[in-house]
Amino acid sequence: MSTRLHLRLRQPPALRVSLDDIVPEAGADATEVARRPLWLGREAVELGELFDVSAQALAGDATPELVIEGDCRRIDDIGRGMNGGTLRVEGDAGDYLGAEMLAGEILVVGNAGDLAACELRGGRIEIGGTLGDFAAGALPGSMDGMRGGMLIVRGSVGARCADRMRRGTLLIHGDAGDFLASRLVAGTVALAGRAGAHCGYGMRRGTLVFAGPAPETPPTFVETRHDITVFWALLRRSLAYHGGPFAALPARLPRRLVGDLATGGKGEWLLPQMD
Amino acid sequence: MSATETTTPMQRNGIDIDDTFAEAFPMKATRLIITAHNDTWAQHAAVAATGFATSVIACGCEAAIERPLSPDETPDGRPGVAVLLFSMSGKELAKQVERRVGQCVLTCPTTAVYAGLKDGEPIALAKNLRFFGDGWQISKMIDGTRYWRVPTMDGEFVGEETTFVVKAVGGGNLLILARDTEAALAAAEAGVAAMRGVPGVIMPFPGGVVRSGSKVGSKYASLSASTNDAFCPALAPLARRTELDAGVNCGDVNCVMEIVIDGLTEADVSAAMRAGMDAIVARGAEGGVSRLSAGNYGGKLGPFHFHLRRILGGEGVA
Repeated sequence: MSTRLHLRLRQPPALRVSLDDIVPEAGADATEVARRPLWLGREAVELGELFDVSAQALAGDATPELVIEGDCRRIDDIGRGMNGGTLRVEGDAGDYLGAEMLAGEILVVGNAGDLAACELRGGRIEIGGTLGDFAAGALPGSMDGMRGGMLIVRGSVGARCADRMRRGTLLIHGDAGDFLASRLVAGTVALAGRAGAHCGYGMRRGTLVFAGPAPETPPTFVETRHDITVFWALLRRSLAYHGGPFAALPARLPRRLVGDLATGGKGEWLLPQMD
Repeated sequence: MSATETTTPMQRNGIDIDDTFAEAFPMKATRLIITAHNDTWAQHAAVAATGFATSVIACGCEAAIERPLSPDETPDGRPGVAVLLFSMSGKELAKQVERRVGQCVLTCPTTAVYAGLKDGEPIALAKNLRFFGDGWQISKMIDGTRYWRVPTMDGEFVGEETTFVVKAVGGGNLLILARDTEAALAAAEAGVAAMRGVPGVIMPFPGGVVRSGSKVGSKYASLSASTNDAFCPALAPLARRTELDAGVNCGDVNCVMEIVIDGLTEADVSAAMRAGMDAIVARGAEGGVSRLSAGNYGGKLGPFHFHLRRILGGEGVA
């Protein structure tokens, strides 16, 4: 039988806590979950000491759910490695949210910290607020960043977002910090707001869509003027599905720049808002 | 060998309906959606890609345009054409798809190609054609579907990586026995026009009509098929067995045309045969058609039997 597990953080912990192994699971037992050990600094504590835990049976073969409530800015690794189910954070989340996630859905009502969706492989993550630095990038020591799935950020993102991203789709409704999609290997990044400095620095392949203001063109990007009607129609329809500033992308052909020429020049910028 | 064992005569609008069946056999099929800058170029690509594809006997596949598509029916919002390709095996079909799309769609100005079926066994569509890009090709995943973008002189060719093959039905048919060439052609054209309104089917022969209906085998060992002598008016007084002296209207058959139908499902073929027969019957015997019959091999070749009278929905005399 499927279960909705509810964790309510009693008060923000004094130190950072990893919630690494707590994911939506069918048949989760509240008592058992409350006994699971967490590390609070060098001290092992039971999860139940930090969270009120309750479980509710769901009808039939419903998708297992996990709801986390409270000020979780110091709770890291929420949904890390998740492989199905639905996870909802009613508030803010800490670092490494949804890192290495394989499948399922994460919804964060508030903001999330650094390294969110790092090496995301599948599934869907939606952030109602903002993200810190290094979102959708690579974990420290790893070669590739996000490599599948979808990340939607309703707010803004910090620096180095999508660094070394390899596959998947990232939609940012707000602004982006410096070095957006730097060293991008492939995938699609769509930005509705303003981009910081050095976006696309060293990008090898992949697509950057600037639905809002166009960033300054770096010297290592050049314009192509060929007809990309077909590809633009496919991509525009896909992005429009997510609404907001992406719903109104014009049907007319966007400007297309390719680069970074220093790393092969097979990446592209699409700039639909031609003034 | 035909099984025209007429017991109770059945007529519709003065046309005899033989108590026989069309015998069809399993095939593998896929649907492709070809789009282009406008209808004209989509048609050019579709016509070329489905050219020389009348019969698996020597063409490798049977293919034709299923129907034109309006912009709101295509993945990229441009005018398009749906084509169906049938072959005897998935492997042969994969080969034909790659050759035909590579030589006739990739080469045609402004075109793009997509899978027209979303389920089945995947085969390469643009997966290998991408190498034409000589390293400049770009892969793009959009909503879980991989596309290849190949730079071309007019811009870029976009093709979905794979298409899907399903089990299908080939060889549904209808024989139109008429007074003369004029009457047979007019009836066949009306039948094909009606069948073209049925989704999931193609009539792969020129104009949808074949005049050289065949039987299995030949007196020549090297031939797998030869003229269907039982339905050749020229051979009616000569052949060991003729089908042209049966029925109420016997003796007035001087021209026979056949419509061959391939469909994605048995129901599709049946619906097309029904539509075709209805159209021909509606013209009545005064149109010069005296009988409708079908080709079969005594039920020994294919598992799909399309009984004309059952399809028309009655055994009695209209």
